[in-house]
Amino acid sequence: MDALSYFATSWVSPELFGLTALGTFLGIYIGAIPGLSVTMAVSILISFTFSWDVNNALCLMVGVYMGGVYGGSRTAILLNIPGAPSAIATALDGYPLAQKGLAGEAIGLSTVMSVIGGFVGIIVLALAAPTVSKFAITFQPRDYMMLGILGITLVGSLSGGSLAKGIFAGALGLLVGTVGLDPMTAQERFTFGDVDLWNGINPVAVMIGMFGVGEALHQLHYMDKMVVKQKINRILPKLSDLKKYLPLSLQSSLLGVIIGALPGTGGDIAALMAYDHAKRITKNPKVPFGEGAKEGLIAPESANNAAVGGAYIPMLTLGIPGDAVTAVFIGALFIHGLNPGPLLLTEQPHMFWFTVGNLTLSNIFVLIFGLTGIKIFSKIVECPKGILIPIIFLLSIVGSYAINNSIVDIWWMLAFGILGYFMRLYRFPVGPVILGVILSSLTDQNWRRAILSERGDLGPFFAHIFTSPLSTVLFLAIVLIFFTQTPIWTKMLKPRLFRKKP
Amino acid sequence: MSSPSLRKPGELIFALLLVIFSVFVFWQAYKIAGFSSMSSAGAFPMAASFAMLLSSCFIFVKTLKAPKAEGMRFFYHCLPPVVAIIMAIILIYAVLLDSVGFTLTSFAFLFICIQILHRRSPFYTFALSLITLIVVYIVFRLIFQVVLPEGIVPEDRIIAVIKSLWS
Repeated sequence: MDALSYFATSWVSPELFGLTALGTFLGIYIGAIPGLSVTMAVSILISFTFSWDVNNALCLMVGVYMGGVYGGSRTAILLNIPGAPSAIATALDGYPLAQKGLAGEAIGLSTVMSVIGGFVGIIVLALAAPTVSKFAITFQPRDYMMLGILGITLVGSLSGGSLAKGIFAGALGLLVGTVGLDPMTAQERFTFGDVDLWNGINPVAVMIGMFGVGEALHQLHYMDKMVVKQKINRILPKLSDLKKYLPLSLQSSLLGVIIGALPGTGGDIAALMAYDHAKRITKNPKVPFGEGAKEGLIAPESANNAAVGGAYIPMLTLGIPGDAVTAVFIGALFIHGLNPGPLLLTEQPHMFWFTVGNLTLSNIFVLIFGLTGIKIFSKIVECPKGILIPIIFLLSIVGSYAINNSIVDIWWMLAFGILGYFMRLYRFPVGPVILGVILSSLTDQNWRRAILSERGDLGPFFAHIFTSPLSTVLFLAIVLIFFTQTPIWTKMLKPRLFRKKP
Repeated sequence: MSSPSLRKPGELIFALLLVIFSVFVFWQAYKIAGFSSMSSAGAFPMAASFAMLLSSCFIFVKTLKAPKAEGMRFFYHCLPPVVAIIMAIILIYAVLLDSVGFTLTSFAFLFICIQILHRRSPFYTFALSLITLIVVYIVFRLIFQVVLPEGIVPEDRIIAVIKSLWS
């Protein structure tokens, strides 16, 4: 009964209700405008909302997250430009549908399916999180350490190309997270005798730099891309279509939750895998995939929104982010004095049910805003980048100043912005950096606890890994990731891959 | 997107800088506690910087082997003048923000950036920057209550005067 009243917190308070609505609305547009990402928006929002009440700040940010994941599909359908990485798969069949003049129908269908996916994700979150959390209490320090490393290497290896670049980015993040006074021994680390560095580098400044300024600088390369107008007619999807595709939507949603819940994999991978799944199980599609098959639109859209609920499971129960957005989110929770981890559910159950209620509310707003306001939508998305990008710079600078009223944070933010620009340019993934910064102290402290409990000896540390099934699985998973990048693997696989391409 | 196996101009130098940086932080991490114990304050930073060092060396060698991308120039494809100019403007903005104050510097920043990137008549840009600044100011300073550097503009007094008009 308590859970229900916590669940309804944001439904009954007009202020929280309004903030959730505003957040979702903003999220849809931010997600839809190419060049603005949810990660960027949430990092900038943290800096402006950190002095707020926790509930208010969370309502706004949960709304932006939920809305943003959905919003990316809009521009994928209309312009063939995915507004967010999670909408890449949506563009494959969504854009051909729009070319046939079915843009409205495609948007309507993707909205409803996103919402269904969102609900599946939330239901699984509500059912699974308490169990996972109970299980997580039995985790050893070494398991946490390995989970942290697993998350970083997974994000590093999946977010494009080279594992070495991913590892470099992740390790850089871990290192940045250690700057300052060591929380266990109060020794100075990388402070160079500067008292200003005792508190470390502000993670929010790193986030805003990497995802705000770095991304916006990169966008300057693509200034001249023009926005193509599309005629939108009917937006409410046909009931027969909904009935027909419901099973596929539910399957993709479940797939999405599971992938979202794995550390290191988020909505983008969920969407691509769901697209693949739909391709495999649809024997005789009315329209071939890639030319406007509705199945190819529904599967990724259900999956990426379901992945939101999934991503919350490790985030709230283990304190381990699944991807860059959840890493930023964990940063926000820390700033508001919440400790995401196995104890969150027992010590602060109200926060958990509040978040679940919030996600549900936000999902309903996605449905409402998704099916209305198409006219304003096309106006806002047409906002030229020449105006948008200076505003992002302005907000990034003001945002990083606002956290501590300190000019030093602006310098860190700019330094990481320029680093982020060059990392993007030379195809380094930037997500692992943020993941590393957030996971740094967790991994560091659990490593040391694990080693201390073995009296500083590495031998028993490795021996004990194989006494617990969980540790064994985690250890093997990390080894497997590295193994798939070694010459033994790539030399056996590569010739086959290259033969396919002429 | 260009093919991932080609080396972009400047990529080799960037990779080399990463190696040098990794060596430096590894040395700094070593200085924290040396090899005294596996659970010292320096153990984890050393592990992280060692991972950086290994991966950056690997990246450097790979970049060295990659064929050069033909017809790409650093100041055209990698750091076009517009990006460099905007970076410089942002730096100047950050320097002046604290002393001159939010309102004046931000207005100048918006005006110059929008003029460079959007290329419309100065009058249009002027109006646009002013409206943007007012919206940002109202949302962040007045609604979100974010403290912004005041600088040389006496904002408090101006707001007090505006408020007194209503009461």
